[in-house]
Amino acid sequence: MPPYISIGGYADPPRIPCFSIETGCGELVALVGGPGSGKSNLIKSIAGIRPAGKGSIRIMGARPGSIRAREGAVFVFQNSNFAPDIAVRNQLERRIALFRGVPVRAVHKDVADWCEEMELIGIADEIPGQMNRSQLQMLSLAPLALTNPFVAVLDEPMINLSSLRVSSALAIIISLLEKTSVLVLVQNKSPLVTRADKVVNLP
Amino acid sequence: MKGRNTYYFRESIIILLKTKWIGPYLLLPPLLAFMVYAEAYLFAHGVAGIFTLGQRTVLAIWNGSLLLALIAGIKSCLFFSKMWESSWFRNSLALPVSRPSGFWGPYLAVLSIVSAIFILTTGAVVAALQESGRVPVFQIIAESYIPVMWAVSMGAFLGMLTTGTAGSMFFTILLLLGFMTGLPFVSLPKWLFAIIPPVGRIMTLGMLYPQGLIQAVILILHSAVFLMLGRLLFGIGSRRR
Repeated sequence: MPPYISIGGYADPPRIPCFSIETGCGELVALVGGPGSGKSNLIKSIAGIRPAGKGSIRIMGARPGSIRAREGAVFVFQNSNFAPDIAVRNQLERRIALFRGVPVRAVHKDVADWCEEMELIGIADEIPGQMNRSQLQMLSLAPLALTNPFVAVLDEPMINLSSLRVSSALAIIISLLEKTSVLVLVQNKSPLVTRADKVVNLP
Repeated sequence: MKGRNTYYFRESIIILLKTKWIGPYLLLPPLLAFMVYAEAYLFAHGVAGIFTLGQRTVLAIWNGSLLLALIAGIKSCLFFSKMWESSWFRNSLALPVSRPSGFWGPYLAVLSIVSAIFILTTGAVVAALQESGRVPVFQIIAESYIPVMWAVSMGAFLGMLTTGTAGSMFFTILLLLGFMTGLPFVSLPKWLFAIIPPVGRIMTLGMLYPQGLIQAVILILHSAVFLMLGRLLFGIGSRRR
């Protein structure tokens, strides 16, 4: 079984010098770096939407961007997770249906229940521009809770959350650890750093 | 996996049905009605020669086609450019979707909407100006669809190449140049005819169907080439950024 996420000799000069890391099932790994340290570029490289500068990246043994790497991986970006003109709940339903491989109508109830549990049931029907950043960031975590990814890569998943929502988000991420490998890219003060199995400091 | 190939098509359709994208097409009926009325007035006063009802029907179909091509081309440039350069679209490529469908999905969505409007427009024209039956209406409608398809393909290429505003300005100039080459009193250097899409010539020759079929083939090839160039740029762009 290959490591769930394998980053070997990755470098993004001048921001990130060469580093390597491997994560396995049930592991939470935190890559810690300040603003402008190259975290957002790194998640794009892992997602296969930006070429890696140097080194190699593999997800479940597959190249980033290949359909095999994307099938079992959920990526949560710091911003721009949703199209600006479409109601967020509709977008979530289509994405979750895509991950589960079922028709959209089969996930209506699950998404509605999750939104209700998170006290976002009314607001989720709005477009992103009508929400605050905390609500939007919380909703971007829905695919983690409603699919069963092998790999989750999260860029600053809590930075915009209101204090009331931090514990809910933390619970979602921790609950993944039964069968998922979680890689978080965060700043030093994130509560995820204290929970991480491994911490790698980016300069 | 279910929905992998249709994800972007469905997202695009939802966006395109918003008022700001569909609204400009509502300009088409009043503009077309004005043109038909103005042409009828000119015919009645002998300014534009004498046209039979069948010829007026054909002219109205071509007017509708070129007006729709203008609106569709401009809106396509704006839509494709906005979509493909947006951060959410780039980030959505991390979903388990077919990446080529990121190009073909939005293209087919725009083409579907524009085709529906084309059918409504030509249907309204044919119903309003019931022609005498001597004009091959269906062949002419099929031929007049080509500039509309060309406009969307060109919009996809320009939307991929540049910003929406620059693309739509370039498209408008290209369409007007192409239209001018069809006007009998406009003389242009011969070499220009080789590079400008025959949007005007297909109309003037299309009035006398089956003339204009060569121009139809040229315009189809022109749109296919630019569509494939757009697809190529999309492939390069999605690997490099």
